[in-house]
Amino acid sequence: MRTTIPVAIAFLTGVIVVLATWFRDDSFIGGLKQELIIWLTIVGGFTLLLGVVSITRVSWGSIQRRSDGWGYKALTLLGVFAMAIPSVLSPTWSTAFGRADGSIYDWLFNYLQMPMMSTMFATLAFYIASAAYRAFRARTVEATLLLITATLVMLWRVPMGEYFLNLFPGDIPSLLNTYIMNGVNLAVQRGIMIGAALGAAAMSLRIMLGIERTYMGKG
Amino acid sequence: MSFWDKVEGIDRRWIYLMVGLMVLIPFIFPAKFPISITPEAQALFDAVEAVPDGSTVMVVFDYYPSTAAECEPMAVGAFHHFFRKNCKIITLSNIPLGGPSMAETVSRDMAVQYGKEYGLDFVNLGYKYGYVAVLSGMGVSIESIFPTDNSGTPLSELPLMDSIVNYEQIAFIWEIADNATADYWASIVNAQYSVPMVCGATAVMAPKFYAFVAAGQFLGLLGGMKGAAEYELLLNESGAAVVGMGAQSLVHLLIIALVILGNLGFFLGRRYREKKR
Repeated sequence: MRTTIPVAIAFLTGVIVVLATWFRDDSFIGGLKQELIIWLTIVGGFTLLLGVVSITRVSWGSIQRRSDGWGYKALTLLGVFAMAIPSVLSPTWSTAFGRADGSIYDWLFNYLQMPMMSTMFATLAFYIASAAYRAFRARTVEATLLLITATLVMLWRVPMGEYFLNLFPGDIPSLLNTYIMNGVNLAVQRGIMIGAALGAAAMSLRIMLGIERTYMGKG
Repeated sequence: MSFWDKVEGIDRRWIYLMVGLMVLIPFIFPAKFPISITPEAQALFDAVEAVPDGSTVMVVFDYYPSTAAECEPMAVGAFHHFFRKNCKIITLSNIPLGGPSMAETVSRDMAVQYGKEYGLDFVNLGYKYGYVAVLSGMGVSIESIFPTDNSGTPLSELPLMDSIVNYEQIAFIWEIADNATADYWASIVNAQYSVPMVCGATAVMAPKFYAFVAAGQFLGLLGGMKGAAEYELLLNESGAAVVGMGAQSLVHLLIIALVILGNLGFFLGRRYREKKR
């Protein structure tokens, strides 16, 4: 029963959504699909709530046991609730609540979260420079091709590099755009996308037919 | 140990210092280099130009705060372009972390510049879970997916949304993404509802979207901060992306120099060791 019902739900909802492709939006099947889509966004909202519950349970347990790094867990909880609670309270009570301009949430987002995330991402430039210096070696023909292509594209994508490329005859930037970005890159990207789409279609079919059950925690 | 062995084993902190300097120098001593316009950026600009004045459009904030340096200049550019054409703008996001807040910040700032009013000239729908369901569901009814805006105001109380039911009333979509949600805008909204759209993406994601440009699903494409700088030039707005080009140029050149130096160290050091044996 615990397996059959979820498989039946997956099959029925999958079939309705696939069938709706061939029906008008205002048909019965189209309406059913729209209803399922609304349900999905509601259920999805609860999964986000589940995430908050999960991180609270795990972090609170660590804080109570005073395990390694419990201070970080306390900060995590503080961050989660300092942003979440004022944002879900009604802005009619106070302009500090809600998510509008000037609210607590807005302030924390603009002056703490955004700079912190940007800083974390910006440090990648340092690691990439160091990694490129140590690991990007022309050991094989393939690696050499990759290295030359990457170097040319990196030059092309910045004004100083493009200025340098234009010192040579033959409009190299235009050739790079035509033959690398709109040539080799395009062909490879299309291959990857078609492969991924076929894989997703196969996986969906496996879920609908009950062959794939890992989403229920079963192999 | 030969000279080239020493070069190969250089302390990473020197590299970090060089990167830091390359970022700082252009802000202290700015140097201008010509920024050429790629055909994809020009096509994007032309596509937005072709949108009828006063029509309702969507600007989608599908990027995280971490990539704001690349994506926000695109969003600002999109607002300049649409507000100049007196278009009504609906913003939304498929990114829970920051998307709605960034849309809020950019739209409010731009509205002040152009004297636009919330609810009448622009609306921020915010975020809703499940991008495939959201994009597909809005094809039937936007209000059924977003019953309220980002601040919790019912859409029925916003004059701009009075005449908007689904994609049929949306003249154009400007998707800004640092992730694969742009795929779904192309495959669901453009392919199934034929809404014309363009895309601005981070430099890492942009190569993937050339396929959509070639297929005509995206009418134009901006790739990374360089793409944003091209768009700013086309709009005659010298913004954050044009300023950032100096730092990006020098860091790119530094990385290329380091790759060349690293390879020289690797091969010449190996040759030196082989000779010594």
